[in-house]
Amino acid sequence: MASITLDNVGKVYPGDTRAVGDVNIEIADGEFIVLVGPSGCGKSTLLRMVAGLESITDGEIHIGERVVNQIEPADRDIAMVFQNYALYPHMSVRQNLAYGLKNRGTPKAEIERRVNDAAEILQIGQYLDRKPRALSGGQRQRVAMGRAIVREPAAFLFDEPLSNLDAKLRVTMRLEIKQLQKRLRTTSIYVTHDQLEAMTLADRLVVLNGGRVEQIGTPLELYRRPASTFVAGFIGSPAMNLIPSRAVPNLPGTAHADTIGIRPEDLSVTEDGPIEMNVSAVEELGAQRLIHGQTGGEAITITYPSDAPLAETLRLGFDRKNLHLFDSKSGARIDKAR
Amino acid sequence: MKRTIFNGQLLPWLLLAPQLAVTLVFFIWPAFQAIRQSFLREDAFGINSQFVGMANFRALLDSAQYLNSLKVTAVFAVSVTVLSMGVALILAVAVDRMLKSQRPYTTLLVWPYAVAPAVAGILWYFIFNPTVGILPFMLDIIGYDWNHNTDKGDAMILVVIASAWKQISYNFLFFVAGLQAIPASLREAAAIDGAGPVRRFFDITFPLLSPTTFFLLVVNIVYAMFETFAVIDSTTEGGPAQATNIMVYKVYFDGFIGQNMGSSAAQSVVLMLIVISLTVIQFRYVEKRVEY
Repeated sequence: MASITLDNVGKVYPGDTRAVGDVNIEIADGEFIVLVGPSGCGKSTLLRMVAGLESITDGEIHIGERVVNQIEPADRDIAMVFQNYALYPHMSVRQNLAYGLKNRGTPKAEIERRVNDAAEILQIGQYLDRKPRALSGGQRQRVAMGRAIVREPAAFLFDEPLSNLDAKLRVTMRLEIKQLQKRLRTTSIYVTHDQLEAMTLADRLVVLNGGRVEQIGTPLELYRRPASTFVAGFIGSPAMNLIPSRAVPNLPGTAHADTIGIRPEDLSVTEDGPIEMNVSAVEELGAQRLIHGQTGGEAITITYPSDAPLAETLRLGFDRKNLHLFDSKSGARIDKAR
Repeated sequence: MKRTIFNGQLLPWLLLAPQLAVTLVFFIWPAFQAIRQSFLREDAFGINSQFVGMANFRALLDSAQYLNSLKVTAVFAVSVTVLSMGVALILAVAVDRMLKSQRPYTTLLVWPYAVAPAVAGILWYFIFNPTVGILPFMLDIIGYDWNHNTDKGDAMILVVIASAWKQISYNFLFFVAGLQAIPASLREAAAIDGAGPVRRFFDITFPLLSPTTFFLLVVNIVYAMFETFAVIDSTTEGGPAQATNIMVYKVYFDGFIGQNMGSSAAQSVVLMLIVISLTVIQFRYVEKRVEY
């Protein structure tokens, strides 16, 4: 086990294409860090730089005490779970699990013990002699994780490991990954584009945008105090309403902000609310509804109990403390002091 | 796929006729002729013929020359296959590792395939020519006296190189395609699992290439046995002393030069049986069994 430090890390591809820049992250021993962002934000590149599959063009990456910039992937003491699992198709599950240990000259009895331990943890004992093609998506996923845990590495790296699974299985496996990590207490870096997956798994989240870190913090910190309009719009579902202040004039306490953020779940229908909303569409979610509409020509969404009465025009109120104020040019939060 | 329903029998048969005619005239009919002739003894002018049963085949098995030809063919086919596939695989792996300029190299490496076998033969014949060739000159410097006109081993090496050279392009293309079909993440996973480049190749890449390899194995054996006629004819003509007289060349030589139609036809039938068994292997085992 080890801490991981990214110190001013950057990646420039030949032809001056910058994929990642100025990333500083300190990951504590045993921490579960999730890198999240839209596709093309550099999160996978960053993970692959930690793994040693991409060269590091700027800065330093430390795993434990060592600077690993020039160290081969095999010698970084990390294990990686790939998006497509990358199981060796011509080897049995047992051979897949044992391959990394065999290459390192681990004694046979020790390999046997570790493979059996991992198989037991992941409940894949009865599939050990099957080939990967004879397994379902979820089972392959477990084997891929098994291959990581038999190595007992300093860190796990997950590259969108759940994105090939169907929605239901994804939720189950998400929980299993979380429990497994809590149990093994191995430092983990997990890449995903799914903000819900990120929120549920992470000890701390790193939101990336355009190769740069937008914000680092616990899921609740990011939800409660997003540092920029990007994070505000990315974290939380349904997404936060980001409304130009001219569309909602005369709101109290919004004097210097030109973008106002408020989460759909923080808006309530009250007769004397300061915002007027023209309803255009309703989405039923069961326990509640999503109501979409306009205010001052700008889109706005609220969550609304499904048994409450609907009207064409609703007046909306909110609690002052749930208001997020941003500068539209930089996208930065401007009420930092509060 | 779209299915068309024809009214009546005439139109479908008409549409099939050209292909059927070509197959019948150029494949089925000669094959039956060969089988028929293999049971006959004919004079050199084809005026008299006499049914002799299996006599032509028995004569073949008693012929030291024919048994030698079998041996030569085996050595030749195995050498050509190993050499052409081995070199092609090395080139394919090298190209697969390149990030830039993969395309130009691939294109350049495919060129030899466009060279006619006879021209390839002549090309190597001159390169290896004991009097004017560049290679014998260089071999002479290190003290080797090259002469494929008198030395059996030299002659075999010449025809093997000339034949393999042409086939490398073909194998190379298939190997490149096969390599590119292997997901990069498998090799990355193996790299993280502590396997160096050589180990990755033998543990991951090569096993995953096996469908391509087996396909090429059959194709190359067939090539070496049947399509190298022109190479032999333009270089050694089966010599010296039968050293490069492979089966398909012997069929031609005994039939058209020696005018021994019965024996030549019997040899053709033997070759036909070999092709049929290779085809069966290709379909039964290669296309079904080699999977992972």
